[in-house]
Amino acid sequence: MNPTDIGVPDNLLPMPRRTRHEQQAEVEAIFTSIGDGAITTDEFGRITRVNPAAQELLGYSEAELLGEWFPKKIVAVTSDNQPINLMDRPITKAFLTGRPVAEKTYYRRKNGEVIALAINVSSILLNGKPLGAIEVFRDITFEQEVDRMKSEFISLASHQLRTPLSAIKTYTHMLIDGFMGELNPDQKKSLRTVIRATDRMNELISILLNVTRLESGNIDSTPKVVQMDKIAAEIIHELELMANGKSINLSMRVKGKDSTSLKTDSLVVKEILTNLVSNAVKYTPESGNVQIVVKPRKASILVEVIDSGWGIPKAAQEQIFSKFFRAQNIVKRETTGTGLGLYLVKGLIDALGGKIWFYSQEGKGTTFSFSLPRSLHPKVRQGKISK
Amino acid sequence: MPREQSQPSVYDQVVKITHIYLGPAADRFIARQVENHLHKSPNDLSQADLAELIDWIRAVVALLTDDEEIVSDYITELQQLASRIAKSNEPN
Repeated sequence: MNPTDIGVPDNLLPMPRRTRHEQQAEVEAIFTSIGDGAITTDEFGRITRVNPAAQELLGYSEAELLGEWFPKKIVAVTSDNQPINLMDRPITKAFLTGRPVAEKTYYRRKNGEVIALAINVSSILLNGKPLGAIEVFRDITFEQEVDRMKSEFISLASHQLRTPLSAIKTYTHMLIDGFMGELNPDQKKSLRTVIRATDRMNELISILLNVTRLESGNIDSTPKVVQMDKIAAEIIHELELMANGKSINLSMRVKGKDSTSLKTDSLVVKEILTNLVSNAVKYTPESGNVQIVVKPRKASILVEVIDSGWGIPKAAQEQIFSKFFRAQNIVKRETTGTGLGLYLVKGLIDALGGKIWFYSQEGKGTTFSFSLPRSLHPKVRQGKISK
Repeated sequence: MPREQSQPSVYDQVVKITHIYLGPAADRFIARQVENHLHKSPNDLSQADLAELIDWIRAVVALLTDDEEIVSDYITELQQLASRIAKSNEPN
């Protein structure tokens, strides 16, 4: 009797066994029909398979690629067509780490053109032994162009918004100061609210501008030797008023006797520290503590911003540096944040060749730590820096 | 009585060979391979791990140079080291 005759649905029946030949044909068909470019290599980095999409994206025929040493034939470059170090190629990173790697990179096509690609690469393992790699990639030139246009628009719109805001602020101050006649206390109170709102909008515009500048590589960089303890002291001075408003004890100290000097861009470092310290003040309840600790190390300077605030819930910690992300416990208390501050901070620290990490316990406080190299990082050239 | 010299660790012996091919990057390179693929500290590297470690080293080094002879020499040296250590661990 046939199982379907007694009501067993087709999809519950065992799959008919395929021959090895059929299985191979199926794998081949899947590989060939992938819409993205796909290349496989053996354990010696030689190309073993190339699908039609990869041939079209790179401009090479299958015959030109098969058997060739992948890193040499398909040259990975920077956006300005400079070859990148073999160690920095996604495929090498996948083998170094043993984990799949997803990255944006640029390949040089056969005709010399540079093409922007989003790449996913994994090592191929058989019983834990690396047999080669598979790299899947797609052209992101159009997405990058859209991103650039979006950034340009935000930058332009932000500039245009700032001009009327400064007029609003100036005239409101003049009104409060009685330039157009004496005001009663209620009128003054209302105008102070107008000023606070314009300040808030200015802050929002600044952060939007900085994020778009960072993403489009348009942050000006003027590297020079700076003292981290002096920068920290300046930030304390600038944010003292904000901290006093909540009776928060804002302090700083240097741990260690070595110099705190480093060669970097001081304005970018100030932006980083201002964001971290103002966040700490904002997310710490009244009468709490916020402290900056500067720890000079041999090749880097470590800075900690320690607060006794509400902390970051465990579930939110992984996303804390994501764009527009705000933890739920904070949204309830502070409605005005943008979720861009830490995204910007991380981007700026990356751009300076540094690292950032944190430790937080909900209800007890948070410590954000970042380190910056003492010597000038190649990313911080005279001119522009970008993520 | 002559003092007994302590044997260099398996990790140190692998780094020593690697140094010939990768220079000063050897230590960091091998440490990363041990930590990432074998999920253990370099100090805990043992003879039993060498076969798997050598497979991963070959895969990475093959992406750093297209000179198969160099890769082959390097891997052969590591394999010889693995058998020397295995022999020295055999009970007499």
